[in-house]
Amino acid sequence: MHVHASLPDFGCKKSSAEVDKAMAVIDTKTQEKKLAVSAQRQERRQSITDILIFLVPLLFFVILLYGTLFWTVYVSFTNWRTIAPNYELTGFRWYNFLINQPRFEVDIVNNLKWLILGVVPTVVIAIFLAYFLELTPFPKVEAYIRTLILYPVAMSFIVTGTVWSWMYEPQRGVINTALRSIGIDSGFRFATNPGTATYWLILIFIWQYLGFSVIITQSSFRTTELQELIEAATMDGASRLRTLFSVIIPNIRAGLLVLVSLLLISTLKVFDIVFIVTNGGPGISTDVLALNMWVTTFQQHLVSAGAGIGVIIFLMAFILVIPYTIYAFRKWFE
Amino acid sequence: MKSNSPTVRILVIAVLVLLSIAYLMPIYVMVITSLKSLEEVNRANYLVPSTNPQWSNYVEVLLGSPSFRSQMMPRLLNSTIISVSVTALAAFFGSLGGYYLSRSRTLIARLLFILIGIALYLPYQVVIIPLSILMSRTGMNQSYGGLIFSYLILNVPLASVLMGTFFLGIPRELEEAAHVDGASRVQTFFRIIAPISMPAYASVAIIIFTQVWNEFFLALTLATRNTQTVQVVMAEAKGTTLVLYNLQMAAALVAIALPMLLFLFLGRYFVRGILAGALKG
Amino acid sequence: MFKALQAAYPDIEVAENPNPGGGGVNQRVVLQSRIAAGDYPDTFQTLGGAELKNYVDSGVLEPLDDLWTELDYASVIPGPLANAVTIDGHPYVVPLNMHIQNILYYNMAVFDELSIEPPTTFAELLAACEAITTARTDMVCLGLGSKEKWGDAFVFDSILLENGGPEYYVNLFKGGVDLSTDEVYRTSLEQFQQLVPYINTDHSSLTWDQAVGLVGSGGAAMTLMGTWAIGAFTKGSNWEPGVDFGAVTFPQSPERILLFHPDAYGMTVQAPHPEATMDWLRVVATPELQIPTDVTQGGLFARTDIDPMEFPYPIRQELQTYVSENPDKLILDQHGSILPAAAQPAYWDIISAFLVEPDVDSAVEATASLMDTFGVAEESAWYSWP
Repeated sequence: MHVHASLPDFGCKKSSAEVDKAMAVIDTKTQEKKLAVSAQRQERRQSITDILIFLVPLLFFVILLYGTLFWTVYVSFTNWRTIAPNYELTGFRWYNFLINQPRFEVDIVNNLKWLILGVVPTVVIAIFLAYFLELTPFPKVEAYIRTLILYPVAMSFIVTGTVWSWMYEPQRGVINTALRSIGIDSGFRFATNPGTATYWLILIFIWQYLGFSVIITQSSFRTTELQELIEAATMDGASRLRTLFSVIIPNIRAGLLVLVSLLLISTLKVFDIVFIVTNGGPGISTDVLALNMWVTTFQQHLVSAGAGIGVIIFLMAFILVIPYTIYAFRKWFE
Repeated sequence: MKSNSPTVRILVIAVLVLLSIAYLMPIYVMVITSLKSLEEVNRANYLVPSTNPQWSNYVEVLLGSPSFRSQMMPRLLNSTIISVSVTALAAFFGSLGGYYLSRSRTLIARLLFILIGIALYLPYQVVIIPLSILMSRTGMNQSYGGLIFSYLILNVPLASVLMGTFFLGIPRELEEAAHVDGASRVQTFFRIIAPISMPAYASVAIIIFTQVWNEFFLALTLATRNTQTVQVVMAEAKGTTLVLYNLQMAAALVAIALPMLLFLFLGRYFVRGILAGALKG
Repeated sequence: MFKALQAAYPDIEVAENPNPGGGGVNQRVVLQSRIAAGDYPDTFQTLGGAELKNYVDSGVLEPLDDLWTELDYASVIPGPLANAVTIDGHPYVVPLNMHIQNILYYNMAVFDELSIEPPTTFAELLAACEAITTARTDMVCLGLGSKEKWGDAFVFDSILLENGGPEYYVNLFKGGVDLSTDEVYRTSLEQFQQLVPYINTDHSSLTWDQAVGLVGSGGAAMTLMGTWAIGAFTKGSNWEPGVDFGAVTFPQSPERILLFHPDAYGMTVQAPHPEATMDWLRVVATPELQIPTDVTQGGLFARTDIDPMEFPYPIRQELQTYVSENPDKLILDQHGSILPAAAQPAYWDIISAFLVEPDVDSAVEATASLMDTFGVAEESAWYSWP
């Protein structure tokens, strides 16, 4: 905006030089103002672009991800029961079918077993093992054990599953053969015993996730406040066990919460171990929701029912994750 | 906290022995089996080493044979291409998004955070069919692009949370100083923030790399003959034909080799990565 | 397999679809995802029967009436085979072989030693098992691998077939039997239960080929498996048919029925290359393709005009000859099934659960309920035998 011409005539007869000077000053000021405003706008435009650069890729992928979730929810209410897609809505029909599936009942019980027995022993063992590693006076031993229990992370489930089914084979399997060779004629039937098969499968899970859990737990030990508290307790003469229970565990709640949430979700999604080692057997005794979803969708071709199972799994995960998400949210944005 | 008491020393030995047995035995079995002939696998028990180690099993697995038609070599290449691409892209996009999440307090950021927090736990079986539909409609399913894109959908949110956690720990003074000097946010990010976040990038890279390398079902569904990954190839031995366990174990060891090596050398970053995501988040 | 195609039509390029697992479950996952996504391959391998019907109902495959007339294929293959791939009067695929399900393989050395004849009825089977387990305490009588769940159904099928005869068998899987009053099903379950002590206790952790390996390593005396087991014996245990192991179809009473399923190829409705695909299908129907493929893969020839002597061993020579002379003795088995695809895994669950914890009443009830839930009577109506 240019301050143009007609300055009111105050009747002051300023010399034209002075008027020019005054005009010049006003002009410069408005120039500056103009620059400032347009710089502001440019900055705003720039920061919007900036924000977009950072935001858009993430937003894009999250939208796609949720797209697949909504698709699944939608399909679970349609009548897709053969290879070809069928998007015609039929309400809760397939949820009804699922509830009446003999497999479904077994699934819920098994998934609950997995949830509790997959998480609690892992966490407990991890705590003790992590504490033990802290106490060990031999650094090489600590490094060795850490690497040793962490390598299963790099193994894919096909490999883990196949090897462990060999470990578990009652007649020629590794464990029983080894036991036999030292004189113990073990009657363990491991995963072929319908009553206990699920527990042996959960053991594989614990085996695979122990390293990961120990790392998380051990790192929670390493905060300075906790270290000081431990110093104080030791100086007060507390036994090692006492220190563990009274000092350490209460103070690593954050890390434990994280660990528990991660484990809960992994056990809920468990498919690979069950698929490879027992395929839901003997009979249907080790069946879990995720395996059910697989069979329903790809062998029975009941895609809507399979989608329904997926929704149920997701809802369960959602409920379990809420406490952690709230906690994390607060921490993040505080 | 180190303790030198005799109880601890005894425990050390006990724990060492127990854990070593539990964790070394499976590897031992894998190696043994990979060197046997198929008959030996069927006949003898799993603990006995082969009387006639078939090193040729590895050659067969790598280069293919009439009974093992999918050679590992090209698949190793495929897995590497896919895993490396996804890792690089996910780390890149994830860091961008993570930076936004760590610095912004708008409603969008909060909403996004919650959405991501939930989506991290989506079981992947839920996404197989919709993803393949998406890939097919966009014509991406005939190339590496389809798999890479699908893995990105699953991994960018994770990467953003991991990187974001790290960024939360970087004091804002750094960016403010840069801003005063006239740098834009983007410039600040790439010139200042990113370089000091290299450990975070490394941790995220390892986590994502191992996840993608080991992933099976998505790879199975979206792969074509040319883009098969090593995991899919290993499963090839199953089905209504004979399972060649000896070759499968050899293939498995080959398939594990790369992540294991990465792991041994960069393992400490993996650990740090988990810590960052675990504690701050 | 593709050599024959190359020979007949050298200018056609084959882009092999990803086929991990040799046609097993994994391939079906890929196929289903691709079809759901609207990305149709030119052709794919299918098993005939209810699995095929699924594809037909979904409008995936083109009817091949013209091709069949052109090749006059119906006249060179057994009637039941043509029936198995014909839905509502139209053939949809070209079968290239037949796999026989109910073959009892046995350890010849043991049978010679104990002077036992290979059993062809359930009673004989029990007697043989008695004899074997008394004489050889280290050996289990029947090796079974039930990890994939259909292994149990195979054995049960044979028992059903003997007790009810072929018409009953077909009727049962068409949902036409009233299970609340039926005696045959009950008796069969009870007999199945009698077999349990003679089956290896770790069957649920073994796959079918591991069960074959069990026989080959001397841990079991017999196994009931399809024609594809021959390859498992030769390659996996280095056993020669007719020397180390023998085979009989089981049961052979009241008549000698062969339970079978075909491998077949069809053409999709949106095939990107219909011309080339049709050429491929023509080749599939020829002896030039069937002979080398079937000999190596382990099935029987689909065409009855091929000389059975093309097989290297007497086992399949005999089977092929039997089929040529008695073409109507073929009934669909557990793989290319009569039961609709949705019901089949549920049926396998019932049988394998029964084997683990035999409870005749609950199994009968579960089966009856299955017939209802999946509308078996309606879905299987397309199949007729002979």
